[in-house]
Amino acid sequence: MPISRLIFWSLIMWLMVAKSPAAEPIDFNRDVRPILSDKCFFCHGPDDKHREADLRLDQPLRAETKPGELLRRITTTESDEQMPPKKSGKNLSATEVAMLRRWVEQGAKWQTHWAYVAPIKHEPPRVADETWPANWIDRFVLARLEREQLKPAPDADRITLIRRLTFDLRGLPPTLDEVAANDHEQLVDQFLASNAFGERMAVWWLDLVRYADTVGYHGDQEHHISPYRDWVIDAFIDNMPFDRFTQAQLAGDLLAADTSTTRQRVVEPKAESKTDPSLARRANETDLLIASGYNRLLQTSHEGGVQAKEYLAMYAADRVRNLSGVWLGGTVGCAQCHNHKFDPYTAKDFYSLAAFFADLDEAAHLKKGSDQTPTVRAPEMRLLTKRERAQAEKMTAAERTAFEKSARLSMISSAIEPREMRILPRGNWLDDSGPIVTPAVPEFLGRLETGDRRATRLDLARWLTDSNSGVGLLTARVMVNRFWMLMLGEGLCRSLEDFGAQGQSPDHPELLDRLAHEFVDSGWNVKHVMKLIAMSRAYRQSSVGQAFQPDPNGQTASNAQSVLARPGQAGKPDLHLGQSRFRLPAEFIRDNALAISGLLVNEVGGPSVRPYQPAGYYKYLNFPKREYAADKDSKQWRRGVYVHWQRQYLHPMFKAFDAPRREECTAARPRSNTPLAALALLNDPTFVEAAKAFAARILKEGGNTDESRITFAFRHATSRPPDDSEQSVLLSLLADSRTDYLRDEPSAQKLVTTGLTPPASSAPARELAAWTTVARALLNLHETTTRN
Amino acid sequence: MLDPTKFANQIQRRTFLNSAGVSLGSAALSAMMARDARAATAPNEQRPLPHHQARVKRIIYLYMSGGPSHLETFDEKPVLAKMHGQAMPESFTKGQPIAQLQGQKLTCQGPMIGFRKHGESGQVISDFLPWHGKMADDLCILRSMVTEQINHDPAHTFMNTGTAINGRPSMGSWINYGLGSEADDLPGFVVLTSEGGRNPQPISSRQWSAGFLPSQFQGVQFESAGDPVHYVGNPAGVSMAQQRRLVDAIRKLDEHRDSSRHPVYPGGSRALQLGASLTSDQPVAAERGNHRDKPGGGISAHDPEVAARIAAYELAFKMQSSVPELMDLSGETQATLDMYGAKPGDGSFASNCLLARRMAERGVRFIQLYHRGWDHHGDLVNFMKISCGLTDHPAWALLTDLKQRGMLDETLVIWGGEFGRTPMFQGKGGPGRDHHIKAFSMWLAGGGVRGGLTYGATDELGYNSVENVVHVRDLHATMLHLLGIDHERFSVKHQGLDARLTGVEKARVLHDVLG
Repeated sequence: MPISRLIFWSLIMWLMVAKSPAAEPIDFNRDVRPILSDKCFFCHGPDDKHREADLRLDQPLRAETKPGELLRRITTTESDEQMPPKKSGKNLSATEVAMLRRWVEQGAKWQTHWAYVAPIKHEPPRVADETWPANWIDRFVLARLEREQLKPAPDADRITLIRRLTFDLRGLPPTLDEVAANDHEQLVDQFLASNAFGERMAVWWLDLVRYADTVGYHGDQEHHISPYRDWVIDAFIDNMPFDRFTQAQLAGDLLAADTSTTRQRVVEPKAESKTDPSLARRANETDLLIASGYNRLLQTSHEGGVQAKEYLAMYAADRVRNLSGVWLGGTVGCAQCHNHKFDPYTAKDFYSLAAFFADLDEAAHLKKGSDQTPTVRAPEMRLLTKRERAQAEKMTAAERTAFEKSARLSMISSAIEPREMRILPRGNWLDDSGPIVTPAVPEFLGRLETGDRRATRLDLARWLTDSNSGVGLLTARVMVNRFWMLMLGEGLCRSLEDFGAQGQSPDHPELLDRLAHEFVDSGWNVKHVMKLIAMSRAYRQSSVGQAFQPDPNGQTASNAQSVLARPGQAGKPDLHLGQSRFRLPAEFIRDNALAISGLLVNEVGGPSVRPYQPAGYYKYLNFPKREYAADKDSKQWRRGVYVHWQRQYLHPMFKAFDAPRREECTAARPRSNTPLAALALLNDPTFVEAAKAFAARILKEGGNTDESRITFAFRHATSRPPDDSEQSVLLSLLADSRTDYLRDEPSAQKLVTTGLTPPASSAPARELAAWTTVARALLNLHETTTRN
Repeated sequence: MLDPTKFANQIQRRTFLNSAGVSLGSAALSAMMARDARAATAPNEQRPLPHHQARVKRIIYLYMSGGPSHLETFDEKPVLAKMHGQAMPESFTKGQPIAQLQGQKLTCQGPMIGFRKHGESGQVISDFLPWHGKMADDLCILRSMVTEQINHDPAHTFMNTGTAINGRPSMGSWINYGLGSEADDLPGFVVLTSEGGRNPQPISSRQWSAGFLPSQFQGVQFESAGDPVHYVGNPAGVSMAQQRRLVDAIRKLDEHRDSSRHPVYPGGSRALQLGASLTSDQPVAAERGNHRDKPGGGISAHDPEVAARIAAYELAFKMQSSVPELMDLSGETQATLDMYGAKPGDGSFASNCLLARRMAERGVRFIQLYHRGWDHHGDLVNFMKISCGLTDHPAWALLTDLKQRGMLDETLVIWGGEFGRTPMFQGKGGPGRDHHIKAFSMWLAGGGVRGGLTYGATDELGYNSVENVVHVRDLHATMLHLLGIDHERFSVKHQGLDARLTGVEKARVLHDVLG
């Protein structure tokens, strides 16, 4: 384009700017970046391979870039000049164009992407209504609502709140005593102190780190890793500071080597039977090695004919994706084949991160992969977990020897001479032409000062949690956002897994920043932050409330509308500062039914357990062929977090309730509502058995009349008494079932002999069967399975 | 008014079409509903499907798992026969990925069976597949397929999702998500499996996963033994009448709780407003179908999650009858059973082909039949006899049956494995062939497809596809095209990207094979 024309158009634009009225200030990161990222970065972003016209919009505009010209190109109707070009399939909406226009009008100011700027320790703002805030979190929340002329929702009723608290902090329903409690803080403390808290948090963490009991690819053989799960549970119970928690997983073996005077003991498969008698005494080192199992959680293949080189590349990429998803809240995985299209991660960053893991000994299991299950995945170690060591303490020497001999194996990390790591051009593992890289953190985020020494996984882990010279505060922000999600249903930044340019910017960045500081300042104290959220008034809001209702004076209706439809935030429904209700996650659906029925066995840790499962479900597995054998003892009624996780054939009930396969980092599970889930909750023998046990309990503890029993049952399922209409629906269901089973005793007999538990009632089978029907109804209620 | 059984599906697909995430909890769901209403005014966000007139309504995919040899099925190679026993020219194999033959001497292995021409079209088909010969004029043989993954597991993933990256939706899920089920009491994507041949390779349920799409779009596996669908049978000692009563009680209690909690549901962005009345404060009302004891009883719930849940329970209960009815072959004539060679309940490929026709009749959108047993590293002749013996005739029966019922025109049938096999000898117990990704054969038949056509070609040894090369993503693009979907415009936001079944590389619709 001729320069004169460019100047002409710039001038026109300038005139337009000069004439337009002062508008609400544009926030580049909130309002403009999402548009540029989605519609323009593909050709004008970080990826130099696809960059057009030498123009970058992911960096401050260069002096010679004329914003007016930019505006012209997005508004022109001449097809050869139109941006984005037609062939890109991208298109700017009218509101997006208007937003960009306002941005240019206000001087086209540029900001670094919010997620790469260290959080600021904002002071809690002033609020008009001083009576509402319970702690400083609420001052942030309320100030924001007041600014939008919105009101917080009323408090949730006491029972709803107690149920919410216990599902959020324990993944279990409340006992009737707990429902009667009045002291909110006392309940919070009690729940945080429970073992169930550790189990609840583990469900969340194991999704992120993709924990499973099987290798995932091809034959999907079992591997040894369950002690790692126990370690995670206990780390949350003990409130291990999150920085130590991080370091132990990424580099526990290196820390153990640091603390150990002798060479670390790695048990090769052949030497398995020789248990090291000093293991129990070297508790800290053992725990660190268990934690280092994190690096072994990825999917592996034992298929005949795998090319070691190809799989080494796959495994390296898998680890980078997980590290990035879990700690950086980033999608570094996109830089495997090319520089990231939207974020400043380069392909070099990707392979430099992969180089941190180049010291992990992979050769052993690639060589020794076999068709047996459990498969051999050296290095593994026979060891006792913290709880098992405590058990062993109480044993005689002989008992202890036997106990140690039967100890579980667990995969650990073991450092060897790092293998060479090259940038793979376009991710192609056959191409050795790329430059060699050494371990380094993404360049735009800083660098590790290790001098001449090759940086290690430990350096990486420390950098992630170092709030001074590393990215500790960024990590903290990623994590507190997820704590918020655990407690309110969604993150303050809703894209829990992607803090990059294509993610959503947080509705309340100041609060998110401040929480990140709180996390670091408290010494990475998980329970402290969870308690802070639990104590806030924001947490206690009703999910059915008026949070997003316009002010009743009527003046703000249009204002509220503008919040809802803020240009540039297409699809942004509301400020997410309220409570939500959602169906419980798969594990807690199970735990809830077992707890209500009284079947739940509350033990912490141990090998994975096998609930009832449809016969033949594993018949498509091979190498070797296998039969599933459900547990025949009390393991049958343990919590969901302990259920055997078969990646290729996840338990059908878990699958129906959206538990992930755990192939990749999962930061947020879908919450679907499908007929398959309904069928599972109605007909899976686990739930039928729970209903039967619940029925026996109702008959035993629920008084002597049908009415008292229904009230008892209803309260156990929903924490509240039924109203008259609910009573009558259930009484009529009971009466009909009685009539049926009176006529058909054999069917009653069949129903009450479901599962392993003997009918724990002296009542006749027909009576127990009739009540089992009532119990099934209660276990299937929306209210019973919903966290509100 | 809405059909309740389509209701959950509908709102969830509708909401998802406009969402960046997959969270479908109550708050998210309703929030997305509001978003959906707004998006209606924003052009270019999503275009309604289909994008163009569809040629077919459904796909039946005969997935020959393990990788059938193209050199003993549809790709005759006389030069390879001449070179039998000679060293494989290094010009072909140098620097190429190789599976089990890594580091071994590579020798040419000539075709192990004869070929002949069939039908008016004169299509060349091996003598392992006599029944394919009889339908040669209906088949469009693709001889120039290529894929990118050489080991079974990732190759299945590649064939199903277009990439080896984990967590992507399978083609069946994409199609189910885009078009939904035509049936109101059966899932839109069903998977059946059978086996027979050499050492059946495992097949992971990942292959029919919905990936990042909502889980209701995943493939539902149907079993030949036990419950055809997990938990579709009542618990022991519970009759259908009792189950109906139970589901009704649950519904009454859910509706009651919903109405007592929400006497007036706030009219803000969190209210669900379905159907035409997108701005009213009325509760969701949906017709409940022909359920007997509740005349006119539509689903009435203020909370969208409650409404969706009631609809899910209704559909679940319907499936408890419709699934066993579907699987019950007693209504088929003996002639039909004989035509397929199906014995009810035997779990054979023959029975599955017949079930596929029954599913097609009932509106299942994507029907995928895996037959495991094609991994012929050794003793290929023997195992080809077994694998072909189990599948050749039933595939013909399926095509013939669809044709005589007037359904072939509205169905796309696809046959093929995850890769082909090497022109080089491998000998795990008699001559066989290793995995091969540079060339293999598949076929298409049915609506919109030119029968009697052979498309593409490999080189003289059958090592590389050299003419009209068809990549997996081209196959995907063509499938979508026949269903009325433009693969370039059919995308979902995932990790900030517009994810497509056909990925980011250029994919082409095979217009040459479409009639």
